[in-house]
Amino acid sequence: MLPQELLIFNVVCRVLHIVNEDYSSVEVVSEGGTSNKKKGHAGGGGGGGGAGGAMKGNETPAMGLGQAGAGQPRNLGEQVARSMDRAALNAFHLKSLVIQEINDYMVELEKTEEEIADNAREHIHSNEIILTCGRSATVEQFLKHAASKVRIHVIVAECAPAYDGHEQARALAGPNIDVVVVADAAVFAIMSRVNKVILGAHAVLANGGLVAASGSHTIAAAARHHSTQVVVCAGLYKYSPMFPFDDDRFNTLVSPDAVLAYGNGDLVDAVDVCNPRYDYVPPELVDILVDHTGGHLPSYLYRLLQENYNYAKDLAWSMQDE
Amino acid sequence: MAGNSTFGTGFNVVQHYNAVLQQDPSISAPVAAVSSLVRLVEQQRATTMLELMKIVPEACSQLKRATHDSISLSAGCDVFLQQMARLSQGQSAEECSRALIQAGSEFVQGAGRCRDRVAEFGSAFVRDDHTILVHSYSRVIMGLLRRAVKQNKRFRVYVTESRPDQSGLKAAEELQALGVPCEVVLDAAVGYIMEKVDLVLAGAEGVVESGGLINKIGTYQLAIVAKAAKKPFYALAESFKFVRLYPLSQYDLPTHRSDLLAFKDSKPTEDWHARLAATNPMLDYTPPELITLLFTDLGVMTPSGVSDELIKFYLD
Repeated sequence: MLPQELLIFNVVCRVLHIVNEDYSSVEVVSEGGTSNKKKGHAGGGGGGGGAGGAMKGNETPAMGLGQAGAGQPRNLGEQVARSMDRAALNAFHLKSLVIQEINDYMVELEKTEEEIADNAREHIHSNEIILTCGRSATVEQFLKHAASKVRIHVIVAECAPAYDGHEQARALAGPNIDVVVVADAAVFAIMSRVNKVILGAHAVLANGGLVAASGSHTIAAAARHHSTQVVVCAGLYKYSPMFPFDDDRFNTLVSPDAVLAYGNGDLVDAVDVCNPRYDYVPPELVDILVDHTGGHLPSYLYRLLQENYNYAKDLAWSMQDE
Repeated sequence: MAGNSTFGTGFNVVQHYNAVLQQDPSISAPVAAVSSLVRLVEQQRATTMLELMKIVPEACSQLKRATHDSISLSAGCDVFLQQMARLSQGQSAEECSRALIQAGSEFVQGAGRCRDRVAEFGSAFVRDDHTILVHSYSRVIMGLLRRAVKQNKRFRVYVTESRPDQSGLKAAEELQALGVPCEVVLDAAVGYIMEKVDLVLAGAEGVVESGGLINKIGTYQLAIVAKAAKKPFYALAESFKFVRLYPLSQYDLPTHRSDLLAFKDSKPTEDWHARLAATNPMLDYTPPELITLLFTDLGVMTPSGVSDELIKFYLD
């Protein structure tokens, strides 16, 4: 049973990772006081040095890359049961630690867009022509932050049938930003004049692919053809440990009324009308992913996922394994 | 001790290795090698660490020589040697041997589970109505397909014949026994059918530091055709097959010999069949750009993730 709403799943995995990580660090310190560097620090652990088989005093370290992982619990039920067995003593300390970390996480979530926007000056230079698509609050803040220092020209693809682009254009208009709205079909034609493409995403999948607003794939493909850089602004909470098994797994169809109105009676009967909400953009078309820590290549994603979701990896996979 | 393979205790590590392989055909080369090395450590009577540190690497090189530098076997031996290096710090020869035997035995027992884990991670990518192209015979791939069948997925498989040993035929037999519709495809017909294929699966002899793949000859070709047709190419490998090699071309592999395909003089009555089998390579190298994802027991990873795992293990 696969989760449909990726963002919720991401947050759950992250919280689970926080809990497990805190648990491992508390466990080490309480057992014999020999603080083991490998386990204590945030985001490390994983693979050969993970909670299952790391060196404790003179216990034999597990052999083989990640053999330690073989001892990890396979699903949420087992994970919880195992934690409960050993956690009675540490629950008191663990609780306050976890609550504090979750609060930190909530603050991180709230400040995501602001922190992403802080990176804007690195990616946007004076008098650049930028293409974007649809409505994205992250991209809007990103561009506005850049515009507070330099003059930029923004071309917004209108993204039919929702016409989100119009709203985005209205939100962006201001001093230092020249906004132009174009039809989706005109994107390829004007791409040769564009310096950079900046897109938002609904979610970023584990292979570096995007689930983004409908129309993003076309824009990214046109950009690749013209060797124009594609920058994707997405908060860390959008990075999902899921892999796309096929292009449309995380897509949904919304009402086709916007594409072909129900009023056209005869036509509606004879024609099959689809209105997909999202587009899948393959990782080869994405150049940089910008999150609150800065820019990353899509090939670096495995590292981010490991740092943020490592202890929840088994949960993610037990859900994908139908 | 150099030319003597018995280490003074009458234990012949190569013999034991061959016996293990014969006894259990489903066991893979690196696991059998570690199992033999564990037995060696049990049998040896070294009293100092220095002696132990000489005996074990010597046994490893004997194994490598006997199997013509098999990549997967080298990977297994390297893992064992790395473990020995870790355990040798601050312990006596006896303590070290005991710990090594324990670690080695756990590894051998856990290795079977590795294959199952790979199958678990990979079987989610096989969906209903898929047409899969498989290269040659690989136990890991069979495990994955078996799992997909158990999950009641309906799919079809093209298997490449994989000359010169035609191991693809063995794969087709097993698939037929599982009830999966399959066809054996000429190695040369891969381009012909690639349009109809949804995904390509290949096993691995070894996975190198760059994330590239060393596998049965024909894999590189398959990957190139898959890339040209924009089909995903997935490689399956257990984590103990990660090797510390960084080949830059086909001819950088340790299994490369200068007499392969070297235009040696031929007789007028040359038996080309026999010559083909003797002069052709058995392995090739697939660069990481052609590989979409790697399914390992550590999880699904992009080729760029491989070096990270290697660093974590080998550089502690």
